[in-house]
Amino acid sequence: MTAHRVAALADVPADGGLLVTVNRLEIGLYRVGEQIKAWRNVCPHMAAPVCRGVVTGTRLPSEVYHYELGLDGQVLQCPWHGWEFDLLTGCHLAAGSAARLRGFPVEVRDGEVFVHTRT
Amino acid sequence: MAAPALVAGRTVDTDVHQALPDLRPFLSRQWRDRWLEVGLGTGTGYTNPRGVQRRDARPPNGGPAASDPLFVISDHLDRYQIDYAILTGPFVLPVGADPDYLTAVASAVNDATVEGWLGVSDRFRGSILINSDDPPAAAQEIRRLGGRPDMVQVLMASTTRQPCGQRPYRPIYEAAAEQGLAIALHPGAEGAGLAGPPTPVGWPSRYLEWHNILPLTAMAQLNSLVCEGVFVSFPTLRVVIVEGGLSWLPQLLWRMDKNYKALRDTAPWLTQLPSDYIKEHVRLTTQPVEEPDRPEYLVQTLTMMDAARTVMFSSDYPHWDNDNPRLLFRRLEPQLRARIMGDTAAELYGLQQPPRPEDLPSFSTAPADVVIGLSEAQE
Repeated sequence: MTAHRVAALADVPADGGLLVTVNRLEIGLYRVGEQIKAWRNVCPHMAAPVCRGVVTGTRLPSEVYHYELGLDGQVLQCPWHGWEFDLLTGCHLAAGSAARLRGFPVEVRDGEVFVHTRT
Repeated sequence: MAAPALVAGRTVDTDVHQALPDLRPFLSRQWRDRWLEVGLGTGTGYTNPRGVQRRDARPPNGGPAASDPLFVISDHLDRYQIDYAILTGPFVLPVGADPDYLTAVASAVNDATVEGWLGVSDRFRGSILINSDDPPAAAQEIRRLGGRPDMVQVLMASTTRQPCGQRPYRPIYEAAAEQGLAIALHPGAEGAGLAGPPTPVGWPSRYLEWHNILPLTAMAQLNSLVCEGVFVSFPTLRVVIVEGGLSWLPQLLWRMDKNYKALRDTAPWLTQLPSDYIKEHVRLTTQPVEEPDRPEYLVQTLTMMDAARTVMFSSDYPHWDNDNPRLLFRRLEPQLRARIMGDTAAELYGLQQPPRPEDLPSFSTAPADVVIGLSEAQE
């Protein structure tokens, strides 16, 4: 694995994400709680630029005709079909779906964000 | 029947929605204020919480998605090596109360398309939007613009006041056949305005359900067109079912044929099996393509519907549910894939030749002119 310095920690916004490029690979950086997560900018469904979608919350699984908001700031919504991904795990938030975002290990050192890739 | 030979290797996107944010210059004064105040004035009540336009397809000038033809060429046609885009407009017209207003809006959309898009690039072909609820006026609009070689079809909402094969709509088909234009039926107005409910059992509760069941309209209209003898009366007419999905067609073909064999005397004008009329006269566009758990199921479905003749690629750019042409039909044998990705459309729309070489400027990054709100597409 190779570590790439991709951004200053201060440049990763509290809301939304920061799109960076590593070896022509587009990667979105997101703050989730105290963590920084890095996800590839390709939706596993239709290869859309998923990181250009909004970061939002969602309605959590609930009883019939009940509505419960949650995961505020932790859901990335693809700008094409609206598939929702949990920014913490990369998992697609739909029962029966095994789709997930491709992620990269992140390291924060001295206020700098490093992403580890194979090359 | 053997698959037709590979024709020209064109890629034709049969459903691209250009935005026309400002119709004011194309509306006469008696309609302009109304357009600005209420637009189409009727929604379906079914709205996608994410919006219909793709967020990432907005041009750098800040205008609405697909409002800049040069950006559409760069962002969509060049990116996916698409030769031609069939433009299907910002919306289709709902069944409404005021036919003169809707007809005026149709003409404005058509004139704005001619002025803002068809003159920009040879890679665009237009659809003549009509208000099908006023068939004589619709026929007039078809004849007004049908002589233009860059207008290749007539566009109407899939939803009509009564089944569209019935007698009142004949003037539309007569004009289209006379002008050599296909008729495209496009969803989006199901349940809007004065239309009946979007399903035979009434009104679903949310957009998800509404969108799931849009193919019902396509099925009902195809059934009507065939059984009413529209293709007998107009033997050169072609009908394009846009954005209605694909996989329901084999079932309908089989059921229509089965019933025809028993009850043909109730429609004695039919001289072929219903499935033969459909394969000859009807084309379906691919988006939103079905995504079964096992991709081979889709391949089987395409075989059942003679897809080499009946199916044409569409993306629905820049709408939320668009398909990525790079990922489509990768399991198909190349000849069938070529038929779907462009050859069938090239035959239908006369696009066998590659587009003219063009030296176009780059898209603009300067802020767009004042952008006027528009009635957004529903589907």
